[in-house]
Amino acid sequence: MAELANIKKDDDSMPIFPINRGYIKRKKFYNGIAVFFAVMAFIIGAFPVFHIIYKAVALGHKYLNWRFISTLPTGFPIGAQGGILNAIIGDVYLIVIASIFAIPLGIGSGLYLSLFGKKRTNTFLRLLNELMIGIPSVVWGIVGFYVFSTNAGLGFHFGFSALAGGLTLGFIMTPIIALLTEQAVNQIPAGYIEGALAMGATKWQATKSVIMKAALGGIFTGILLGIMNIIGQTAPLLFTNYYNTGLPTGITGPGGAVGDLAMLIFIYIHEPSRILHIKAEAASVVLLFFIFAVDLGLRLINYLTRKFL
Amino acid sequence: MAEQNEIKVEVKNLNFYYGNYHLLKNINLYFKRNSVCTLLGPSGCGKSTFLRTLNRMNDYTEGAKLTGEVLIDGKNIYDKSVDVVELRRNIGMVFQSPNPFPKSIFDNIAFGLKIHGIKNREFIVERVEKCLKYAGLYDEVKDKLHKSAFSLSGGQQQRLCIARAIATNPSILLMDEPTAYLDPASASIILDLITTFKKYYTIIIVSHNIQQAGRISDYSGFFLDGELIEFDEAGNFFTRPKDKRTENFITSRY
Ligand SMILES: Nc1ncnc2c1ncn2[C@@H]1O[C@H](COP(=O)(O)OP(=O)(O)OP(=O)(O)O)[C@@H](O)[C@H]1O
Ligand SMILES: [Mg+2]
Repeated sequence: MAELANIKKDDDSMPIFPINRGYIKRKKFYNGIAVFFAVMAFIIGAFPVFHIIYKAVALGHKYLNWRFISTLPTGFPIGAQGGILNAIIGDVYLIVIASIFAIPLGIGSGLYLSLFGKKRTNTFLRLLNELMIGIPSVVWGIVGFYVFSTNAGLGFHFGFSALAGGLTLGFIMTPIIALLTEQAVNQIPAGYIEGALAMGATKWQATKSVIMKAALGGIFTGILLGIMNIIGQTAPLLFTNYYNTGLPTGITGPGGAVGDLAMLIFIYIHEPSRILHIKAEAASVVLLFFIFAVDLGLRLINYLTRKFL
Repeated sequence: MAEQNEIKVEVKNLNFYYGNYHLLKNINLYFKRNSVCTLLGPSGCGKSTFLRTLNRMNDYTEGAKLTGEVLIDGKNIYDKSVDVVELRRNIGMVFQSPNPFPKSIFDNIAFGLKIHGIKNREFIVERVEKCLKYAGLYDEVKDKLHKSAFSLSGGQQQRLCIARAIATNPSILLMDEPTAYLDPASASIILDLITTFKKYYTIIIVSHNIQQAGRISDYSGFFLDGELIEFDEAGNFFTRPKDKRTENFITSRY
């Protein structure tokens, strides 16, 4: 109030402008149009998803039972009887192996890019990372074959196995986690990092106790996206794991291969058998639920770590 | 000039650049042990930047360059042999805007102790409590020590940051407008604290508030466009400034 009183009289003449009712009305109309298009876009995007789920459930509903997910495939052609337990167990193997490889590597790379590296090299590494995200998965499959699976020449000679397949899927996951980690760290207010450094924390101490915590949400999104991305992959597995109708006896060499839901669907659809086609539909519903469960599980872990860390 | 052993921090021919922008120009001054020195100057004149050269917080700033010397206890902190982490453990810093960590109130203060390798739970609890009392925050937060620091108001957050800065027993305290976010009553608490604190610390404060500065300072410096225009004992500085520009500033003509 005191300041207002100090303003000189001739400064006091704040010109009053007329309210343009037509303008406001027009803007409200545009707002309505924007909302309409947003809703339309959602419906257009969501419709196919619901349609597919509907079709899959309609076709495969008779197999959507506990027996289907708890027994191994049998009969002739294999799968004509029994369930898809091999693929569910196999997916767990693949995700765990890929995650053990990709989560530390991806988070580490992301932290390096955002906190530790030199500016010039980082620009190059970042480009490389984005390029890796863009590489088609079938190419990763071939890379994985030469690095992990083939029994000739250089490489690890893991054979067609869960380890070879999982690590190859890890290749796909890593750059996604790295990108999301870097972005999450870059969004942390500079004050957190400066505050920690000013207290005499080393960069690693600051990272461990302040930065990681603040970036956790973004890092989890990266892990989630990474896992979602690999669950549906078949191409990388074609050359590194292929498919096992039974349970694995190890994770490398003969007997090391595992089943996989996406591969199961891919294979069943190519069989000239009505039963297998229907089972493929049922399996895709299971795959959807599987993804849903992984998503929920990760979100729960995210929530709990935020709350109790 | 003060006697050598009375001087805690001495700045010699300090120049600072952001890229090609020559911000701090040939700064020379000293800070006496267990004294309070306020740095004044209009917005953008380089006060914060100067403060940050004293604990090397500009090390990570892209394009920052520095020449000259900052001697703490007679040792140049820009010397190759100086360990920055070690250096900063000895210097507490309170930033211009409150920046508590995304942790609980308790953990914000315990953080400094933990990174110094202190694990004794009892010691930490006692220390946290003491620091909060020092910063005049204890009564307000004693029932919610394990709530997030973000649940505090801006002024409370700033006091938490002060508590955090003193938790590790630094010998120097750098404060960048510590009362900017505080209401007059809390500001007053902090100012009283600062006067008490000088028993333990050498305190260097950036301030915009000339009255507050006058109240707590032993020494004062006036910055203008990256130059140190005047530096003197507070008595002289506020009542008989030598430079016309200082006089204009402290009589609020900038
Ligand atoms: N990282 C940076 N890169 C380039 N220029 C910067 C950077 N940080 C600050 N500056 C510039 O340096 C000048 C001094 O900034 P500084 O923050 O030291 O001012 P200040 O005296 O603390 O001002 P205030 O009282 O508003 O806090 C400003 O002109 C600012 O634009
Ligand atoms: Mg400032």
